[in-house]
Amino acid sequence: MTRNRASRTATRTAALALGAVVAAPLLAGCVPNDPASSEAGGDGPVTLSVSSTADACDVSAAEAPSGNVVFSVKNDGDEVTEFYLLAEDGLRIVSEVENIGPGLTRDLVVVAKPGSYVTACKPGMVGDGIRADFTVTDSGADTAPTGELADQVDAAAVNYVAYVKDQTEQLLTGTEDFVAAYTDGDDDTARDLYAPVRLHWERIEPVAESFGDLDPSMDLREADLEAGQEWTGWHLLEKDLWAPEPADNGGEKYTPLTTAERADYAERLLSDTQELYDRTHAAEFADTIDAAAIGNGAKGLLDEVATGKVTGEEEIWSHTDLWDFQANVDGAKVGYDGLRDVVLAKDEALAGDLDERFETLQGLLDQYQEGDGFVAYTELTPDQVKELAAAVDALSEPLSQLTAAVVL
Amino acid sequence: MFANFLIGLREGLEASLVVTILVAYLVKSGRRDLLPQIWLGIGTAVVVSLGFGALLTFGPQGLTFEAQEAIGGSLSIVAVGLITWMILWMGRTAKNMKADLHHKLDDAIAAGRWAVAVMALLAVGREGLETTLFLWAGAQATGQTVQPLVGALLGLAVAIVLALAVYRGALRLNLRSFFAWTGAFLVVVAAGVLSYGVHDLQEAGILPGLHSLAFDVSAQIPPTSWYGTVLKGVFNFSPATTWLELVVWWAYLLPVGFIFVRAAWFGPSRGRAPQPATPASLEGN
Repeated sequence: MTRNRASRTATRTAALALGAVVAAPLLAGCVPNDPASSEAGGDGPVTLSVSSTADACDVSAAEAPSGNVVFSVKNDGDEVTEFYLLAEDGLRIVSEVENIGPGLTRDLVVVAKPGSYVTACKPGMVGDGIRADFTVTDSGADTAPTGELADQVDAAAVNYVAYVKDQTEQLLTGTEDFVAAYTDGDDDTARDLYAPVRLHWERIEPVAESFGDLDPSMDLREADLEAGQEWTGWHLLEKDLWAPEPADNGGEKYTPLTTAERADYAERLLSDTQELYDRTHAAEFADTIDAAAIGNGAKGLLDEVATGKVTGEEEIWSHTDLWDFQANVDGAKVGYDGLRDVVLAKDEALAGDLDERFETLQGLLDQYQEGDGFVAYTELTPDQVKELAAAVDALSEPLSQLTAAVVL
Repeated sequence: MFANFLIGLREGLEASLVVTILVAYLVKSGRRDLLPQIWLGIGTAVVVSLGFGALLTFGPQGLTFEAQEAIGGSLSIVAVGLITWMILWMGRTAKNMKADLHHKLDDAIAAGRWAVAVMALLAVGREGLETTLFLWAGAQATGQTVQPLVGALLGLAVAIVLALAVYRGALRLNLRSFFAWTGAFLVVVAAGVLSYGVHDLQEAGILPGLHSLAFDVSAQIPPTSWYGTVLKGVFNFSPATTWLELVVWWAYLLPVGFIFVRAAWFGPSRGRAPQPATPASLEGN
């Protein structure tokens, strides 16, 4: 028997289209049937009963707290009826149940946001129906993610706190080694340790910055010094390890730190790091980390890259900017990955966008890997820097929507 | 009781008429070997609808109203595409009546072996979810009263009996009339299915214009009356029709109707409408 290939392809396409058509709303369009399973704030589930007859539409209450609301609609008349929940304008259908035959009860389940609504029964399925005003009061913490989504947000926060703690632990042990080498005058070892240890700092930079006094003490750049401010921290030691030529030092000959000064500044860096460790391991720290903090932190890391790393200003003496660059991206990615399921559920397009742009940026960075680390910033051509900057900006834009997508 | 009966009748007619014509078409053209595909499509639609309806009624998750309307609406529109394909084949078949009919049919249907199954699946499945949700609601009410469920099931049964009657009637027509008339009927049905799908999407807020009505004859043709029910079940006629529905209905009916009529009615014997049915040679029954 001859077969017509084009028609078979068309059929297969139709079948695929059908699958997509059915699957798409299913993935997006679920509401919990059992109001008790919703984690809405306030007084938990609300079930209202509605009795629809030929000339009445009795709703058991004229208001309900926001969150999961169930209208249990019973047809007490002898004509088929429908029940609608309409927006305040009385036009837009928020939800409806049709085909409620006489004697039947059908449930309308809706996640209701605070506001004014109109309820309507349509006995006989005609006309505007028998209408009444209905109010949904604000019960507080609802219609934010409930159920599964809320759990995911909580899980993301727990995981992120764990990540921050882990990074501070590695930072602390790394700093101990670095400081030991530096105070002993073992400059080669100190130079080798500098960038890999700072990775752990850069990954959680927004958290460190949230402790206002620690950040300037540990991570201040010479260029950002204000008058009368004492310069301490990583970058002071960086300059000492990669002593600049006079030409690069404003024409002045660089004076190395004395052994005593070295010990002093190193000790201070170590005690600051210990302080950071202690604060992030305190119980109250976990309370400050929520979806908004993670989302804003991820965005903050990208801003760090754009303003400091891409320009080569962060590591002006050691030129290890690409290490910091990678660490900032790591931190942002960890924050995003924790929230990704939530983003996926609430704004699929944004998630796809972020996935793609993270990948693009990482792909660019990978070109400059060398051994366990990266080439010096000074080896990049202006065009390569521009390319990196463009990829950072491209990621920064959707990342700035992350918090809103998750929290709202 | 009667109201629930009418709901069952309406949903049953919506689901069964297209399938009826499809089966008659296959039998008329001597392709009974394709009937299993039809039963497979219908069976799949029924099982999936019932299971899914039960899951949504008794399971932990319901479906948002938008999602439910989007499913019904989109499936209707996909179904129209397949029915159109079938209409155009019927038109061509009618045209080639005298000439090597079976050879032509073989080509057409062999290509659409699975299209036939998918068409049956969609014809039954597009309204299957709403129907089963309604039935399960009836089943839930059986604690107090069995009337709604019995009424609905009786309605479905009557719809199936009517569909069988249509089937037998269609088989009595001679071949040429059969293609010409059932095809024309399908064009009108498909236009109705399409505008019905559009209305679903309007209700879900996916398409605009839910409240700009072209006409409203709800007073003359109440949707709860038996004739309102039959009109809705057979042609998807809605007494309160929006402008968009009306435009879509005509936008489908005119071109497809024109193509079909030109092919089927003014084919080999130009300019003559088909002769009324004569008790001609019957195949099968």
